[in-house]
Amino acid sequence: MNSLKSFLKRDGWMLFIFIGLLAFPFIVATLTGSSPTGVPRGDRMIMRGESVRWQAVLIEVFILSLLAMSYNLLFGFTGVVSFGHALFFGLSGYIFGILLEYTALDTGLATGLGIVLGIAASGLLGLGIGLATLRLKGVYFAIFTLALAEMAYIFFSRLQLTKAEDGFAIGELPVWLDPTQSRLTFYYITLAVFVVGFLLLRRLMASPTGAVFKAIRENEDRAQSIGFNTLRFKLLSLVIAGMMAGAAGILQVMLNKKVGPEMLGLTYTIDPLLMTIIGGTGTLLGPVIGAAGLHLLDVGLRDQVIALGGASIRIADVWGLILGAIFILVVMVFPYGIVGTYQRWRLKRQHRGDPASAATSRAARRQSG
Amino acid sequence: MTEPLLEGRQLRKAFGGLVAVDEVSLQIAPGSAHSIIGPNGAGKTTLFNLLSGRYRPTSGTVWFKGRNITKLPVYQRAHIGMGRSFQITNLFPQLTVLENVRLAVQAKGNDSFRLLRRVDTFTAPIEKALEVLELVGLRESAALPASVLPHGGKRKLELAILLAGDPEILLLDEPTAGMASEQVPELMATIDRVRRDGGQTIVLVEHNMNVVMSISDRITVMHLGRLLAEGTPTEIAGNTLVQDVYLGQLYDLSAGETPQS
Ligand SMILES: Nc1ncnc2c1ncn2[C@@H]1O[C@H](COP(=O)(O)OP(=O)(O)O)[C@@H](O)[C@H]1O
Ligand SMILES: [Mg+2]
Repeated sequence: MNSLKSFLKRDGWMLFIFIGLLAFPFIVATLTGSSPTGVPRGDRMIMRGESVRWQAVLIEVFILSLLAMSYNLLFGFTGVVSFGHALFFGLSGYIFGILLEYTALDTGLATGLGIVLGIAASGLLGLGIGLATLRLKGVYFAIFTLALAEMAYIFFSRLQLTKAEDGFAIGELPVWLDPTQSRLTFYYITLAVFVVGFLLLRRLMASPTGAVFKAIRENEDRAQSIGFNTLRFKLLSLVIAGMMAGAAGILQVMLNKKVGPEMLGLTYTIDPLLMTIIGGTGTLLGPVIGAAGLHLLDVGLRDQVIALGGASIRIADVWGLILGAIFILVVMVFPYGIVGTYQRWRLKRQHRGDPASAATSRAARRQSG
Repeated sequence: MTEPLLEGRQLRKAFGGLVAVDEVSLQIAPGSAHSIIGPNGAGKTTLFNLLSGRYRPTSGTVWFKGRNITKLPVYQRAHIGMGRSFQITNLFPQLTVLENVRLAVQAKGNDSFRLLRRVDTFTAPIEKALEVLELVGLRESAALPASVLPHGGKRKLELAILLAGDPEILLLDEPTAGMASEQVPELMATIDRVRRDGGQTIVLVEHNMNVVMSISDRITVMHLGRLLAEGTPTEIAGNTLVQDVYLGQLYDLSAGETPQS
């Protein structure tokens, strides 16, 4: 019973949010008088109403959170800077889409196979990129990944087979999974993938392997000197991050029922990077908070129009500008991201409580100052 | 002589035109305490970097227990029993003091690819790390981030990380660099104690002549990248060449003082 108590004290609020997310479609439905499953028309469902609309928004938050979490594993926890994260996201998306649209496989089989192959290919891609380039130091690795992602983007933008720049639509998904038919089910599926991803990542970062990741981020040279083959751990981190981003890409394709080169574009590299930094690099919750915050803002402001003198400006058209401004503001107010800065602040407050550690934190301030 | 534990043969390291280590051959006998002295810029740290694998020699070879390890990666040297500390403090700054040391213990074990088990369920490495922290006098600071330690504490932690790996040979590059002089004897006593208890071999770069003369079985003198002399402390103290070129200018051996720099 004691362990339950300490669990609730430590993780109770997360459990609370989780229950809130479970109930969310029904809460919105009740508040707005809409149906959580959409409106039936004949033997099909039409996704109309506030509940299903907000489900889609949260599904996007879960997907972006997964992507940002995977970016954070590499960047925040292992200290590996990649500018090609969209590569994993897009590649698995294409593999999944191609299996569904360009093979004669039965839809259910294609879906299952697409998930497995898409995620496996992302992991292998991580392994390949890592083996080829992780020996490169910092910025050179980052530039290589950027170049690779851009090449993939250009390749798929030109590839007629997959309808080049337009991309191609997914005609059919298994009905129980299809977000245009069973959005509520799909909502719970993405929620589950997100929660499992989060818990696995949390456990990983509390494991001996995660400890080595952090050691590499802190000081790779010393990590080698005490006996770690750091290349192997960086590869592992890249493979896991790749697979996570790959899973996010597949969910994205399911949600939009479309695959296009934009999934390989810079946006899906930069956004998870910004979300991670805004939320808190190297914290577990930071990327989630960053993803939720930025995406909800985007959705809330996207269709707003501001009148400026004679001209009226649609927020969606200047979203990049606004994103940049938000980024600068947050980084100025929260130098370690929202979660990171909060954690530091709390640590300081705790130390103020007892005199012994107050002395050390004074010493710490002297040291750093 | 018995087979040396660690040996450098005609080691040479050039940085562009600058030859930092020039045809240095060095044998470290098992169980000995072997000091390397010489003025700043003599090439001592570079020699350590060659022996520990951080740098590849321009030419020459490194041997450990009769095996040519010149091309062995740094991380593998930890597993065959070599360990080093750094003149310029080289820690995991944002990790706790305990975690800094625990990682060094973990590195020598087989649990580093246990992805889904919590680190705190592996109690042996934690206990081992706490023991080492006790030994160097940092147990009280175990929960602090390494970055907040005062300089002396960081030097102790540097040593603790090295000791936690249980090396057979310890390459100590100025372990007391920058420490307040009253803390130096304590740290050196710890090193000496560890060595007496565990029978490890020590290679020491140190400027404090009291320490060097009292702890060493053998002393190698370097100057401008070359070996100037080698012998027992008495031989080195009596070597007129060494006196002229190095010790004479910098140290007053009879008084056993260290230079004021
Ligand atoms: N990485 C490096 N690149 C270029 N020059 C170096 C490097 N490391 C050391 N040196 C040079 O090699 C010489 C020997 O340096 P070092 O081995 O640090 O001497 P010591 O440890 O005896 O003071 C110095 O002239 C130093 O400037
Ligand atoms: Mg030096």
